[in-house]
Amino acid sequence: MTRVPFSFTRARLIGQNTLLEASRQKLFSFLLLLALSLVAGAQGFRDFNFGAPELKFLADLGYGAMAFFGAALTVAATAQLFFSEIENRTALTLLAKPVWRAEFILGKYLGIAAVAAVFCVLLTGLLAAVLWAREGSLLTEFPEAFPHGRTLHFADLVAAGYVQWLKLAVLAAFTLLVASFSQTQLYTVVTGFFVLVICHLQYLAQDASARGDSVFARAVAGAIGLLFPNFQLFNLAENVGAGVAVPWDRVAHVSVYALGYVVAAGALAVYSFRKREI
Amino acid sequence: MSAGPSGTPAIELRGLVKDFAVGLRGVKLRAVDHLSLRVEPGQVYGLLGPNGSGKSTTIKIILGLLEPTAGECAVFGVPGGRVEARLAVGYLPESPYFYRHLTGRELVQFYARICGLSGARVPARVAEVIGWVGLTEAADRRIGTYSKGMLQRIGLAQALVHDPRLVILDEPTAGVDPVGAAAISALILNLKAQGKTVLITSHLLAQIEDICDRVAILDRGQLILEGAVRELVGVADRQALVVEPLSPVQLGELRVWLAARGRTLEAVETPRARLDRIFLDHVGRTAPAKREGGP
Ligand SMILES: Nc1ncnc2c1ncn2[C@@H]1O[C@H](COP(=O)(O)OP(=O)(O)OP(=O)(O)O)[C@@H](O)[C@H]1O
Ligand SMILES: [Mg+2]
Repeated sequence: MTRVPFSFTRARLIGQNTLLEASRQKLFSFLLLLALSLVAGAQGFRDFNFGAPELKFLADLGYGAMAFFGAALTVAATAQLFFSEIENRTALTLLAKPVWRAEFILGKYLGIAAVAAVFCVLLTGLLAAVLWAREGSLLTEFPEAFPHGRTLHFADLVAAGYVQWLKLAVLAAFTLLVASFSQTQLYTVVTGFFVLVICHLQYLAQDASARGDSVFARAVAGAIGLLFPNFQLFNLAENVGAGVAVPWDRVAHVSVYALGYVVAAGALAVYSFRKREI
Repeated sequence: MSAGPSGTPAIELRGLVKDFAVGLRGVKLRAVDHLSLRVEPGQVYGLLGPNGSGKSTTIKIILGLLEPTAGECAVFGVPGGRVEARLAVGYLPESPYFYRHLTGRELVQFYARICGLSGARVPARVAEVIGWVGLTEAADRRIGTYSKGMLQRIGLAQALVHDPRLVILDEPTAGVDPVGAAAISALILNLKAQGKTVLITSHLLAQIEDICDRVAILDRGQLILEGAVRELVGVADRQALVVEPLSPVQLGELRVWLAARGRTLEAVETPRARLDRIFLDHVGRTAPAKREGGP
């Protein structure tokens, strides 16, 4: 009997098709629209000429928009790009080919992560351009506020954008896990956002597990703290806007942290999808 | 061409059972009920039965898309749930739906690559199968714009692109025009001529009768009849003659002629042209599979 080994080529083909679907479904024009409104929005703050803190404000605004719209996009894209395969029965044809279910899950995940990456690259690039231009004009207007010249570093902007993407990649893995057993698209979307909120508030659970009153409350809080990643770790924007160099060891640490959660959620998704009836 | 009963069958089902849990309380619905079948290599095998009799469910179990509740299933000797069992299988699902964002050509290309075809032979092979199903003109249009019959055709192309040994077609002619249906019949006979095995379901019994070697009839998941088509439908001791109209006198003479040979004339009817024949004559397009020679 010929054996069919797991194939990254097939997973990549599925991923490419997913990305193509996102781009042809005008998901990206939605992104572009967002990016444009961000530029327009940033121009609106021209009146507040308050020197260097304005740059921090702009960076916070930019990364905040990236986090918010990125999360919405990731959950929606995961539900759409993965779930519609099952709902529209296109998965029927694909999984009737010599394709492992794990390849299907990995391929879908790669495609969604690529969509999130395109989003982050677009917005980081745009934000960098806006910040650079604003810094230039502030330099000429208030030279006394910038005794050492430009304070922003492009590498820091990229690092902050990369960490935002890591967060979206973790969110996508969790949403994919939900979609792997969910019966409806709405359930996937709602649960995906629920996961997002929990991950943002996860640090509260960690605090509670350390200082909780009853053993039970501490156990529950501890479990939440362990099961869900802490999304607060993924925010490097305060460093960037303030011109403080991004600590690279923290970027490395967050990368490993994110990878761990992605692998765990992905493995669970493969497991739950393994026997799913198509 | 077809291996004897001793060889490995293309499909073998033994005591297959599939229950679905329906409703909140999980009431069991038995879609396939102790089904045992053997499809020999090289056969065109028809799976018939009324709506909801378990044909599509059986096919999905063969392809590993559903897990059987009980029983066994093997494709060329490989257990049905395994990825390896699907290596040499092409499948057209019923009322298929494909990625709307791709063109027909891109879709077939995608599946060709998924099935391990690579390099320069992909575009040529894709163009070839698209030609067989008569979609060459529409190949570069988005699938979102395809009609129902065109979806069936592109589905057929997708099922054949990797040159499978076993082709499973779930209602390939649903929504296809008579010209297309005739073309699909010709395509299936072409596959058979190459020694491929075809499992087909259809509600067009005339088509099934023309192309299938064997049929199985299911009802409520149970096998109620199985056998060679020729044996099932053949009325061996009757013949029909079609001639130009005869006058009553001539008819009388014919009766006398027959009586002298110990035969009787049982029925005199005026055969009517079948509507599909008229349609084919007037639409006048040659069936694409015939024109381009098939696989
Ligand atoms: N996913 C499912 N969940 C519950 N019941 C199902 C499911 N799929 C099929 N069934 C039921 O199983 C039975 C057999 O369905 P199946 O689709 O196999 O019939 P079929 O013979 O292909 O019919 P048709 O000629 O209409 O295509 C039906 O009663 C159907 O309602
Ligand atoms: Mg059916």
